[in-house]
This record gives sequence, structure tokens and C-alpha cells, in this order.
Amino acid sequence: MSNDSKNILSNEEVRKLVIARLSVLSPDIIISLGAEGSFTRDQLVTSVEKRDKIGEKLAEIQMKWLRSFKEENLS
Amino acid sequence: MKLIITRPQHDVTTSYLFDWAKEIIQLAQNKGLELIDLCKNKANRRELTSRIKKLNPKLLFFNGHGSDDNIAGHNNEILIKAEDNHQLLKGKITYALACNSGKKLGKVATSNNEATYIGYADEFIFMADNKHINKALKDPLAKPFMESSNQIMVALLKGHSAKEASERSKKLFAQSSRKLMSSSADPNELQAAQFLWWNMQNQVCLGDAEAKLIC
Repeated sequence: MSNDSKNILSNEEVRKLVIARLSVLSPDIIISLGAEGSFTRDQLVTSVEKRDKIGEKLAEIQMKWLRSFKEENLS
Repeated sequence: MKLIITRPQHDVTTSYLFDWAKEIIQLAQNKGLELIDLCKNKANRRELTSRIKKLNPKLLFFNGHGSDDNIAGHNNEILIKAEDNHQLLKGKITYALACNSGKKLGKVATSNNEATYIGYADEFIFMADNKHINKALKDPLAKPFMESSNQIMVALLKGHSAKEASERSKKLFAQSSRKLMSSSADPNELQAAQFLWWNMQNQVCLGDAEAKLIC
């Protein structure tokens, strides 16, 4: 996993947003994040809380996704 | 016309890719292509190198893990690595269903337009349902991810160019994402919509984008 998404989770509001989004997922789902492995909802929430590289990647995706609406990128 | 597919199977991710690649194997066989399926422990560097040199396939389909400069096979043995053996991809169309390898390996392999490389410049992410983990082809959560990805191979096997194949795949990722966003308040599906969009954004088609199979 690349390291170009560091420190997004230092922002508490972003951290809360990402956790809120993950927390509503079904406990049965698995998310495959490539070579990093496959993770359950609870494992991903822990990653975000710990602000590790998996958590940072999820935050990066979340923020880019939100920005895409502003930029009307989903064409 | 020859096609080599690598299908490692040693964890949840590779097990899903392993199963969903069966659709492509079936399609290739129906079209009469000579297909070499390097599955499980056959997805190793020695076997792959030997087969590419001996058979000179036009099309390569890698399923597995990857990083910026490599794609891996069974038990994550590195199959192709930039600045090492990327020349094996010369003159070929490659689709790497693997994370990140579009970032460096794809660029190195396609320098001087000597190859075509479709892959992902960041993580390829998909969702699955634990209840379907042993029957991946029946997992409705994984389906839009795998079908959108497979669209590349379907289009290539139908004779479309690499550029067209990538565009068709991206279109399906976008359509699936929109559909999940607009028709459901299910949090799982809304999350899937986000990851489908992410895969679309990070899919790259590098090198000779007009390359196509001529059967």
C-alpha cells in the first residue's frame, strides 16, 4: 500500500466521519484491500481509530469520493 | 491465438479472483483460443516465464496481489517485476487484476509503446459477504466488482481494442456505482458504490491503447 495518504486521520472530524460510515456496515461483510488482506467491519474501524495505513487509505478514499461529488466526477 | 491466465489461490482475495476468472476461461474456450491456465501452485515465476517464452501469447491475464513494481502469483511469489523481467510483457496485451501495478510496472513495461498494460494505479478493492465466502460466484456483493473487471477481458476477447476494453469496464464500474447509490439505502451497497467508483478512477490503460486481438 502506498504511503501517499498519511495523516488525513489526524483531523478528528474526518476520523469520526469514516468511523460513522464503517460502523453501519453489516458485521458479515469483508473488504478486500489487496495485498494488505481482507478485513471485517470491526477490524477496519479499529484501523481508523489507530490511524494506521489501512485506516488512512479508507480516509483517503472517503475524502476523494466526497470531493468527486463537488467536482461532478462521476461521469 | 494464445492466452495465459494466472490464478493463484491462497487467501480470500485470490480465491474470489480465482473463481470469477472462470467466466473468462469459459469465454476464451468458446472462442477457440489456446488457453494456458496457471492456477494455484502453477502460478509461479518459473512456469510463467517458460510458457511465455515458448508460446509467445498475445494476451496475458494476471489475477493476484500486486504492488507498485510487481504482480504476484501463488503465495505471493513475484511473477513480473519492473526493471527485472518486465520485458516478458513486450508485444503483448496484459490485464493485471492486481493492486497498484499500474503505477510503476505498467509504465516501465509500456515505455516506447512496446506493450499494452491495463491495470490499477492504486488498490483494487472489493467487498464480499462472509456467508458466500466458499461460493464466490454467488456473492451478490462481489458481483458488480468482478463483472466490471471481467468486462476488460470480455471486450478484448470480442476483438475490441485495449482502450475500448478499458472504457467499457470503467463504464460498467460507473453504472454499477450509480445503481447502488440511487436504488438503495443499504449501507453495504452504498459503501460498495464508493469502492466501485474508486476502482474506476484508478484503472489505467497504458502503452499501445489501440492493440487488439486479431483471431
